[in-house]
Amino acid sequence: MISALLSAIILGLIQGAVIGLVALGIVLVYKGSRVFNFAQAELGTVAAFFLYFLIDVVNVNYFVALPLALIGIGIVGFLLERLIVRPLFDAPRVTMLVATAGVTLLFIALELIIGHTQTRILAKAADGTAFTILTVSFTYQRMIVIAAVVGLAIASAWFFNKTDLGLAVLATSQEPVATELVGIGTRRISSFVWVSAAVLGGIAGVLQGPDTLLYPGMMTREFLLLGLTAAVLGGITSLSGAFIGGLLIGGLNGLGSWAQGQFTASIGAIPAFPEVLVFVVLLAVLSVRPQGLFGAEA
Amino acid sequence: MATIEMTPVPAAAPDERSLLPLLDEGKPSARGWLARRIVQAGVIGAGLALIAVNPPVLQTDRVTKGLIFVIIGFSLHILLGYAGQISLGHQAFVGVGAFTSALLVSKGLTFWVAIFVSGATGALTALILGFVALRLKGLVLALVTFAYGQVAVNSIFAIPQLTGGGAGVDALRPAGFEGDKAWAYLVAGFLALIWLLDWRLVKSKAGRAIMTIRENEVAAASFGINVVGYKILAFVLSGAIAGIGGALFAHHTRQVAPNDFNFQLALVFVLMVVVGGLGSRPGVFVGSMFFGIFPLAVPSDFVHYGELIGALLLLLTLTMFPGGIGQQLKPFTDWIAGHPFHFSLKPQRESGISSGGAGVRP
Repeated sequence: MISALLSAIILGLIQGAVIGLVALGIVLVYKGSRVFNFAQAELGTVAAFFLYFLIDVVNVNYFVALPLALIGIGIVGFLLERLIVRPLFDAPRVTMLVATAGVTLLFIALELIIGHTQTRILAKAADGTAFTILTVSFTYQRMIVIAAVVGLAIASAWFFNKTDLGLAVLATSQEPVATELVGIGTRRISSFVWVSAAVLGGIAGVLQGPDTLLYPGMMTREFLLLGLTAAVLGGITSLSGAFIGGLLIGGLNGLGSWAQGQFTASIGAIPAFPEVLVFVVLLAVLSVRPQGLFGAEA
Repeated sequence: MATIEMTPVPAAAPDERSLLPLLDEGKPSARGWLARRIVQAGVIGAGLALIAVNPPVLQTDRVTKGLIFVIIGFSLHILLGYAGQISLGHQAFVGVGAFTSALLVSKGLTFWVAIFVSGATGALTALILGFVALRLKGLVLALVTFAYGQVAVNSIFAIPQLTGGGAGVDALRPAGFEGDKAWAYLVAGFLALIWLLDWRLVKSKAGRAIMTIRENEVAAASFGINVVGYKILAFVLSGAIAGIGGALFAHHTRQVAPNDFNFQLALVFVLMVVVGGLGSRPGVFVGSMFFGIFPLAVPSDFVHYGELIGALLLLLTLTMFPGGIGQQLKPFTDWIAGHPFHFSLKPQRESGISSGGAGVRP
């Protein structure tokens, strides 16, 4: 029983790493544009489709295809900023939120038109299993996911705390006019933010793709709600908060599915119990700390 | 199709202009009013005739689906347009209404009672969310409504005793309205009632209070407006109408299953209201009609192109025509309401979503 619980939680934490990666992109966009990016998860699916196309249709080597797919998704992020975000620069944030949700629907419709509803198997970066803890096998793919998340979280924390560009991003979102006055090009900064967020989302997509099959709307269906919840739980402005929020939600999910399997008569009778658990925790945290667990201005 | 003008509604948008008396423009003459009423009656008559004729593309069955979407659109519009509160979980209210009515009717209750019970359960689910909305604003509220909708659909709607699991519940139409045409007129009747309700709401003290809260909560409170009460009222009204719309939705397809209420549907609801134009009843009518009928009218091989066009329309509306369809219809609706006919193609940036509450940063 204990080992089953631990296994479930470890599996949840691994999933939490991907949630954290999605949440990281959401926090980055929030810091730069003060909006919840409902397209963040779907950018990952688009990147995964790019990768699939390059490997399985064009027959390119994985390690050539991967950077190309990420460059591709970066261009998508650039266009997104130019065509959607910039015209709405002065619009209320909820309008922009609806626009990003519209972008998600646009992406899903395009994926369905090009790829139809069939599911595909995306290539892995590495095969094989490194080691096994309890019943959870740590495949090399999973190790790469964890390493990528930790590395990217540290890199973005360094970026915002130590570099001038990071400071300029924060300044742009808080006081665009004053930032413009001291000679920082706020438009360039905005482009930069969306391109980086798209690449972050793309990394999440190509890393997660092999674990869940690739189908249109994959990342949105599996990770959008969890990623947003993680970002808000962690305090929408905190990078480390997003990361910890992701792990927390992953762990809760693991705990929930364990409890559902363990107590079939009581909790097991509640459909989708892990989701209910995460929602209840979100409401509880927001009612005590509306700014999230690690929220602070900036 | 154009059953909108079924009630004698001066179809002006509830914006500043229509609140002003017709000072400098002068009122139309008796003949002017007569011409306006004739046009209005003509549009309503053409809409009702359309149902009777059952033409190839706009079959009665599809038009009815469109009318039900309009009811749902009006429900969401109360929150999004008047109260400035976003709801990304509206499919849950609609679903609760749909299952309530389907379940009660299959247990032997008459449709005429069940549909109002649906309204009550829809209102109750919205009430819970309303209390959450009192504490949360803007973007965080958007997330919570989104999560609320997802959890409701994945968890509550998956309880087999309530919703028949994946198989769904049968929802028979009431006696005398089994046929498509009779059913269409019944739905149009419900829409007329809700249109009337919406019109009276906007003209009432409650409506003005709700819109004042959208513009500025603190200012509203300082004028003695009960902010908590009216916010909750907006949620309850929206939920009740969504519940009734859901019941009609269920009986329209004669069967309702949990899979009917996915996340995309919630986005389509937001989409049709925003593309229709916040603050404009005729705009929301046309927008909802379009998004209700269009997917059915597209050949099944091209159904995803329909989704693509919907998403593109939304993005175009937001970035280039923030007033939506309502803005384009404004010269005509203003004329019907008694203003002179002004026509200009100049886009105006003054829709409901771009002002006040919905735009508050968290």
